[in-house]
Amino acid sequence: MRYYASVAAAAALTASAFIPASVRAQDAKPQYGGELVLTGQLDKTMFPGRNTDAGGMDVYLNACENLVTMAADRTMKPALAKSWSLSDDQKTITFQLNEGIQFHDGTPFNAEAVAFVFNEALAKKFLYVSLLEGLEKVVADSEHQVSFKLSKPSAALIPNLAYRTMCIFSPTAYKAVGEEGLGSKIIGTGPFVVDSYVKGEHVRFKRNENYWQKGKPYLDSIRILFVPDVTTRLAMLESGDVDRAAGVPDFDIPRLSSEENLKVSTIPSLQQNYVVINNLKKPFDDPRVRQALNYAVDKAGIVKSVFAGTGATLSQAPTLTPGVFGFADMREPGKNTIFAYDVEKAKDLLKQAGYEDRNGDKVLENAQGEPLSLKLWTRKTGKGEYQIAQLIQAFLEKIGMKVELTVLESATFSASLSLGPQDAKYDLALLAWTVPTADPDEPMMYMTHTKAWKPAGANRMFFSHPETDRLAELAHAEPDQKKRAEYVRLWMAELLKQAPVIYLPTVNLTEAYRTYVHGAQYMPAGTYDATMAWIDKAAKKEQGISR
Amino acid sequence: MLKLILNRLAFMVVAGLLLLTFLFFLFHAIPGDPARLIAGDSAPETLVESIRQAYGLDQPLVTQYTTYMRRVLQGDFGLSNFSRQPVLQIVGPRLLNTAKLAGWSMLLAMSVSLLLGSLSAMYWDRPLDRGITAFSLAGICTPIFVTGILGIYFFGVHLRWLPIGGMSTWKHYIMPVMTLGLAQAAGFTRMVRACMIDALGRDFITTARSKGVPERTIVFKHGLRNALLPIITFFGLGLGHTLGGAAVAESIFNWPGLGRLMVDSILTRDLPLTQGCIFFFAMVFILVNLMVDLLYRWADPRLAND
Repeated sequence: MRYYASVAAAAALTASAFIPASVRAQDAKPQYGGELVLTGQLDKTMFPGRNTDAGGMDVYLNACENLVTMAADRTMKPALAKSWSLSDDQKTITFQLNEGIQFHDGTPFNAEAVAFVFNEALAKKFLYVSLLEGLEKVVADSEHQVSFKLSKPSAALIPNLAYRTMCIFSPTAYKAVGEEGLGSKIIGTGPFVVDSYVKGEHVRFKRNENYWQKGKPYLDSIRILFVPDVTTRLAMLESGDVDRAAGVPDFDIPRLSSEENLKVSTIPSLQQNYVVINNLKKPFDDPRVRQALNYAVDKAGIVKSVFAGTGATLSQAPTLTPGVFGFADMREPGKNTIFAYDVEKAKDLLKQAGYEDRNGDKVLENAQGEPLSLKLWTRKTGKGEYQIAQLIQAFLEKIGMKVELTVLESATFSASLSLGPQDAKYDLALLAWTVPTADPDEPMMYMTHTKAWKPAGANRMFFSHPETDRLAELAHAEPDQKKRAEYVRLWMAELLKQAPVIYLPTVNLTEAYRTYVHGAQYMPAGTYDATMAWIDKAAKKEQGISR
Repeated sequence: MLKLILNRLAFMVVAGLLLLTFLFFLFHAIPGDPARLIAGDSAPETLVESIRQAYGLDQPLVTQYTTYMRRVLQGDFGLSNFSRQPVLQIVGPRLLNTAKLAGWSMLLAMSVSLLLGSLSAMYWDRPLDRGITAFSLAGICTPIFVTGILGIYFFGVHLRWLPIGGMSTWKHYIMPVMTLGLAQAAGFTRMVRACMIDALGRDFITTARSKGVPERTIVFKHGLRNALLPIITFFGLGLGHTLGGAAVAESIFNWPGLGRLMVDSILTRDLPLTQGCIFFFAMVFILVNLMVDLLYRWADPRLAND
């Protein structure tokens, strides 16, 4: 009943920003049968341990389930585990598992299986191991009880276990066919079973007749077609070849919204664009200069011109987006975003840091007469990244900086931004970060902490500040939710003073689907869960779609 | 003839191995770390390192090269870095799909261009010729992604006559084959027209006309046969263009072909897969060239005696 619970919670909180936008109205009774056809993207394997992309999750979540799940209101709900408890020293989390569940291959789901999956993840370094930080081992206490042993308390572990990539696959199948085998046919306990898979073409799931939640799922099958070209994707949706398409370009939204058989919905994602500032390079080691960079960029202008006004939301807090634990509105009173556009303030801060136009050439110089010039790197992939970079160049030049914009091919870009402090060559680089598990632990411990400097973590700014490190560590270990949220808030306040990056708007996600599709959820992490979806057959027929 | 074929096949093997060597070192010369791309931008270095080890990317370049070449000689092109499936298993069906698309498109392009080109030459400088010339110039100037997307919106979305993506029924073939085939036909038509005008101006045609041979026989039998040599060369080269254009058409029409696979594999630095794709593309090219040479001998028996 967990999906009902999450859907009900969502319906009750319609005004909240946490709501998956495509939780459909629950006024009609679900109908059984039919095939849902979706567009998707699976670039890598279907094996969860080696693919943490949203596109990959959209595929394997149909067949593979987690111990716990995160409801729309961010509370943790039982899934394969029916309950859990924390030991007094907070270093052991014990889960009671649901009984009578089988994997698709007929083997039983039990504590052994859970222990195997996570111990294997640690041993073989599955791509999500960084999210299991502090986990030492997992032990099966009995057939249906399993314990997670931690080296130090971690408040983030349970929310992280809801991350779809940490689903429980069949150990028997894994031992028989390995990662490669499960990579083309994932075997879990989920409501759907992989029926056929052709790389680059499609994957088809059929109903799991032995599914442990009686009466579910509603659909007979789900077919996901891999369509990389967005124009083709939309054309297929409009013609009725598919029932749902994601990644609708902002400039197509008005047109699609006017079609009566389609519904378009936009949700803020957990992804925020930002500009990495190399904190080790002068003068960016000075927080005043970093703040000036932030004030110099017109965020609202970016939303308007790059995202058609609707494709992104102005950020209300550094790094964290609504829906992430501990999120709080950190804007100054009366401002529409953090570091609201203020050219005078930016110039003033730079003057305090010793930069002003000393010879009337409209370029800022320091006391030695050296001009303030910098290199900004970007790539041409990602939603509007190149256009954003061009605007940032213009904004920074407006306050008197010399900005050289370099566009790199995406693989080169990725490699150049994965280097350690000695080798990193950039001053500024435009990137995007995501808080995939909707928990602040990753941004705190892994993106801004001193220990997370590249190449060990994802701190490409080489930002280091004892106070943010301290608050991050406190929040990491704090089991009391209220106290933890306070640490997160203090951490954000400190970031606003330090400005390790240029904070940019949060990207929105837009999907469009046929109005006869009900009960699917589009989650802020970008995943699409259609396992409990159903099709209104009469409405489908009315729209002239006969497939 | 047999000697020619054997020579060419030997050449194919040597060219293929040289190509793989070149690609291998080229790939390692350009920036971009495959292990990093597999792990994801924010993955810790320890994880990236473990992937490097698992995929043998931490070995010295020469070791990686010799291991790879030894396997290739045994017919094993390795595993794709991303999907961990054998390259041959991925490339094989994709190559067949591209061959289907390119084959039908070429057939369409050749038939249309031979007919229109000959008609154009027959009615040289008259309204029909001008009409055909306008058609072919428009075709040459319009890129495939424009005609393709217009086709999708008109026939797929508005009229709903044709499906848009995939290749499961014959109806799925119509739009991609028409788009690619007609684009090719436009260029071919100009060439056929020029060759035919040249052939039809020769003395033996005048002789045939004066003897009262019907115009149709003159154009399609005597004229076309003599214009055929340059046309065959052009068609052979054209197939190369078609394979290139197929990559674009494959993206637009979501056709699971080799072109699209190759582009994706380059962007993700999936070296084994990229090598596999380019290698088989190159082999197809060489085979097509061999076929063109053989056709030459059929069209002009004098060459066979040289």
